Amino acid sequence: MQILRETKLEGLRLAKKIGRAKVLEVLSKKGLVGRGGAGFPIAKKWETSLGVKAKERYVICNADEGEPGTFKDKFILKNNPETMIEGLLIAAYVLKAKRCFIYLRGEYDYLREELEEKISEILKKSKMKISIEIVRGAGAYICGEETAILQSIMGNRGNAMYKPPHPTVEGLWGKPTVINNVETLTCVPQALVYDDWNPDYRLFSISGDVCHPGVYEWELGVKMSTILDTVKPNGKLKAMAFGCFGGIMPVNKNLSVSQNTICKEGCQHGAFSIIFIGEKHNIVDICLSIAKFYTYESCGKCTPCREGTIRLVNLLKKIKSKKADKSDIKLLKEFAEHIQETSLCGLGRSCGNHILTSLKHFKKDYMGYLK
Amino acid sequence: MKDKILLNILQGVQDKEGYLSEKSLKEISKKYNIPISKLYSVATFYTMLKTEKQGKYVIELCGSPSCVLNKGRDIEKFLEKELKVEIGETSKDNLFSVYKTSCIGCCDEAPAMLINGEPYTKLTIKRVKEILGELRKNANT
Repeated sequence: MQILRETKLEGLRLAKKIGRAKVLEVLSKKGLVGRGGAGFPIAKKWETSLGVKAKERYVICNADEGEPGTFKDKFILKNNPETMIEGLLIAAYVLKAKRCFIYLRGEYDYLREELEEKISEILKKSKMKISIEIVRGAGAYICGEETAILQSIMGNRGNAMYKPPHPTVEGLWGKPTVINNVETLTCVPQALVYDDWNPDYRLFSISGDVCHPGVYEWELGVKMSTILDTVKPNGKLKAMAFGCFGGIMPVNKNLSVSQNTICKEGCQHGAFSIIFIGEKHNIVDICLSIAKFYTYESCGKCTPCREGTIRLVNLLKKIKSKKADKSDIKLLKEFAEHIQETSLCGLGRSCGNHILTSLKHFKKDYMGYLK
Repeated sequence: MKDKILLNILQGVQDKEGYLSEKSLKEISKKYNIPISKLYSVATFYTMLKTEKQGKYVIELCGSPSCVLNKGRDIEKFLEKELKVEIGETSKDNLFSVYKTSCIGCCDEAPAMLINGEPYTKLTIKRVKEILGELRKNANT
């Protein structure tokens, strides 16, 4: 796997040799984009931050991988943490940051001790005079969102904030702050060191009704038939969900998996987490479990998300208990659309995706529950 | 407070004492000059921070779709029945507090749970019985 290639501080050495401007040029030419879901070019993000005059600057490694069905950053933290830490050091060098943070989700706290050891070991070897602190997340999904992660590190409730200002311009304690996730930072030294580094490789987290769930690496555009041949469906498959936020669509063997093809079906690929759903399951049941997730994780700051997610759960429960009629289905769709249009952050703006996409592709499952 | 990370301070105290008691929060408030209302506001936001006394073993059962698809609900029902609790409660013998969490990132080994932060995966009712038995035994020795 490309993501497991070690760079043994060669990337940092090279970065210092060629200088900041050249590092940005190389990363841009190599086409390294963020792996958190938005796909923003890393060089552009770093350049924006560097363009802001400031005495201090911070770098955060977002290891708060909370999207249900996603576990590829854990795979890196376990199998190649050295290269990720080196990526953080290169970011600190390019951005002239003296203080870096790794925001580690609370559910991965058992990885902390080993990570701490690796950090001190690599810092010592690198001879860089910077600090890398692990911030211990405590079970709030919203803190994966970039404005919420800032609030959390600054000792506040992890509420999402309005943008602008963007963290790259005004982040921790009002200073420019660059946030990159684990996979993105791991790619930084690899992209610098290896001539044959491929920008189109992505990690996929595969789970659900398959015989071989796990983390796999495929190139963008990979055929669904290739994925299925590898992970082996456990019985006939009906659907696939892209985590909780990315929506649900039918399994099509001929689909080539990329942003465009998935968007066409109304879904979002996010961090390429695919939960395969077998034919024995009713999609409404799955949607109810996803809707409950959103009520649980809404930070409560904005009304459409805080109240709307509860209404979605209640409507789905009504449908499941066979007390609903067609007008409730209409209401469910309207609610989901309205919450998405009016919510503050990515959580609220995606909390209806599973409902809207399943209504598009699996309306039969809903109709079967009507009174 | 720029030089210290509040979340790490709170987690450190919870590691030692099992939860964030009023007494500990008052001490943190005094030491770092943070209003106690702010501490409660932060502590109650994060599901893994507890402001009430917990059982010796805190069980966090994963509720992600991957676990639901792999019979996670059977494990949930079994835990509730076996420990005579509902999700969010502590057993009468003060050994187990049971919670359900959004996702613990063990989807390829579903169903899964954390016990005092350590992952237990590929759960079956038989395996959960064994795990609980082992923990009860350890608690008594």
